[in-house]
Amino acid sequence: MSADGAVVRTAEAIAREAIIVGAELAAAHDGQAELVVSIRYPNGVVGHVLLDADAGYALMRSCEIDDLGGLAGQSWRKILEGVKTCSTS
Amino acid sequence: MFDIVIRNGLVVDGEGGPGVLADLAIQDGRIAAIGQNLGEGKQTLDATGRVVAPGFIDPHTHFDAQLLWDGQARPALEHGVTSVIPGNCSLSLAPLKIADRATVVGMFQQIEEMPPEAFTEKFAKWTWEDFAGYCAAIEPDLAINVAPLVGHSLIRLWVMGAESQQRAATADEIVAMQALLRQCLRDRAIGLSTSFVDVDANGRPVPSRFAEFAELDALCQVLGEEGGKMLQVVPEFYDADITIARIDQLADFSLKHGIPTTFSPVFDSHATPKAAPRILDRVAEQFARGARVWPQMQTRPIDISFSMLNPSLFLARLPRWVRVLRQPLEQRIAALNDPATRASMIADCGPDGGEAMFGRLVVRGGDRAPEAYVGRRLGDIARERGEGAAEAAIKISCENGLDVAFLAANGGHDDTGRIGPMLANPLVHIGASDGGAHLASFSTYGDTGYLFSEFVRASGDFTLEQAVKKITADTADIWGIKDRGRLKPGLAADVVVFDADTIARLEERPVHDVPGNGLRYIRSATGVDAVLVNGAVVYADGAYTDARPGAICN
Repeated sequence: MSADGAVVRTAEAIAREAIIVGAELAAAHDGQAELVVSIRYPNGVVGHVLLDADAGYALMRSCEIDDLGGLAGQSWRKILEGVKTCSTS
Repeated sequence: MFDIVIRNGLVVDGEGGPGVLADLAIQDGRIAAIGQNLGEGKQTLDATGRVVAPGFIDPHTHFDAQLLWDGQARPALEHGVTSVIPGNCSLSLAPLKIADRATVVGMFQQIEEMPPEAFTEKFAKWTWEDFAGYCAAIEPDLAINVAPLVGHSLIRLWVMGAESQQRAATADEIVAMQALLRQCLRDRAIGLSTSFVDVDANGRPVPSRFAEFAELDALCQVLGEEGGKMLQVVPEFYDADITIARIDQLADFSLKHGIPTTFSPVFDSHATPKAAPRILDRVAEQFARGARVWPQMQTRPIDISFSMLNPSLFLARLPRWVRVLRQPLEQRIAALNDPATRASMIADCGPDGGEAMFGRLVVRGGDRAPEAYVGRRLGDIARERGEGAAEAAIKISCENGLDVAFLAANGGHDDTGRIGPMLANPLVHIGASDGGAHLASFSTYGDTGYLFSEFVRASGDFTLEQAVKKITADTADIWGIKDRGRLKPGLAADVVVFDADTIARLEERPVHDVPGNGLRYIRSATGVDAVLVNGAVVYADGAYTDARPGAICN
């Protein structure tokens, strides 16, 4: 923890985190476009998280990007931040 | 003399064997005989050059409300569908106390996208509270057969009231739910539906999602005790791992209580290509244990729909569009009307002016879509207007308050080479049409015609006879519908006469035929000559008849 109380994560801890490795657009069951975000976990497994339009755009805002290509390399925590913003807006 | 004789057709009886040229005779609503040179009928249908097959059965619909004002379940019937199973996804219209009607109407509006007027104008017949009362309300006007599920959310709401969306049930409440479910099954419900996904009009989880394992287990016990009735489930289909966990849970219910289970939807996605195969592998493992866990897969591709009124991820690959479309509405409209912004957005689409991405889109509707454009490709409209495709998309939207919907056909579940073999898998149940739902988003009709046009004629994944079996006898067997799904003497005379070379679904089109002038998208049929339900002609030569021979069946 830093002097002002903020949580500080070490480089090692960050390296142990799940990382977004890509995102693709797909068609959802309800006829909407959805974002399939691929996440690589520290053990090497790649999983997927599906986001609707609100959550997808919120994730992009949270990452401060307007190009899907910019999601690669971002922490999985950005998804949480985006979804939280989206659910409280 | 028979009531009706269908002459000289290729009789495909639903069991998968080769079709046979024969006559089919009907008497008193049942198939009386199949063979050569049968006697005379009071009515004769010439089926020369046509297939005579059992009526198709659609196992996943939401026609619960529509059946109150449309006993023909249009346009399902004209596609050859003679029996439908409504009440899926935990939602039925009974049992339902008067005090809880508004709650359930909200759930239906959320899921089926029906205007509120549909419920106020046409629900004068809403006389029932119990399941028998609902069946009695719809049955006199039915032209199609209905095998209704009872919804878990309704069972829970009846017993727990508003707390059904707040907490787990007590032991006494679970006993009360068991008694209520038993009564519904005895009042002709074909099984129970539940959902782990759906939400109501306020975005809250529907009541079934608050159930703990013990509650669902207790309800499955009743399904078993009442003859092994079906449990239908909407699992967390957006996540393959959770879906697989649900498959294991359903398998345990199936084995413990001796019941069939089915879940939907399962669809293929290029973004997660391993998901559907993994799910089907797990299904095979559970069938090998003796469990019955039927995955439902739709035949039709998924079309993506969007407008600039509500930002869609369809445009998320275009950075300048993202910047504009995620602005609040007022600023968004201003930006879209700004020539410099427009130019930068068009430049974002590449040197072809967006022809590749936007030219193939179809203007599909929206409340302010110009009628002259509806149903046409944006590329063609753009050329008429002397604009590029992306420019036309922006300008047409701006000219109409952004309330113009565009359709990107075949956005997902569209790889016939992958989907054909999955559909042909004997453990895959063709279904998940959602007939009567998603009214304002896309058409949920004509999946049977698409099965023949795409997977029999185009890809050859099915023979004609295999395709017929898949949506008739197989469906009847999975659901325990003993009287239908085959052409055999003594069985109910649900029959469809169609042209194997042309049967298909037609283009999607918007209509305003929902009470309250509500919009829905439909597809009409082609290649279907006649449809008979319980021995009466309900559709022939492109027109519906006045006959109302449909029945509640289970």
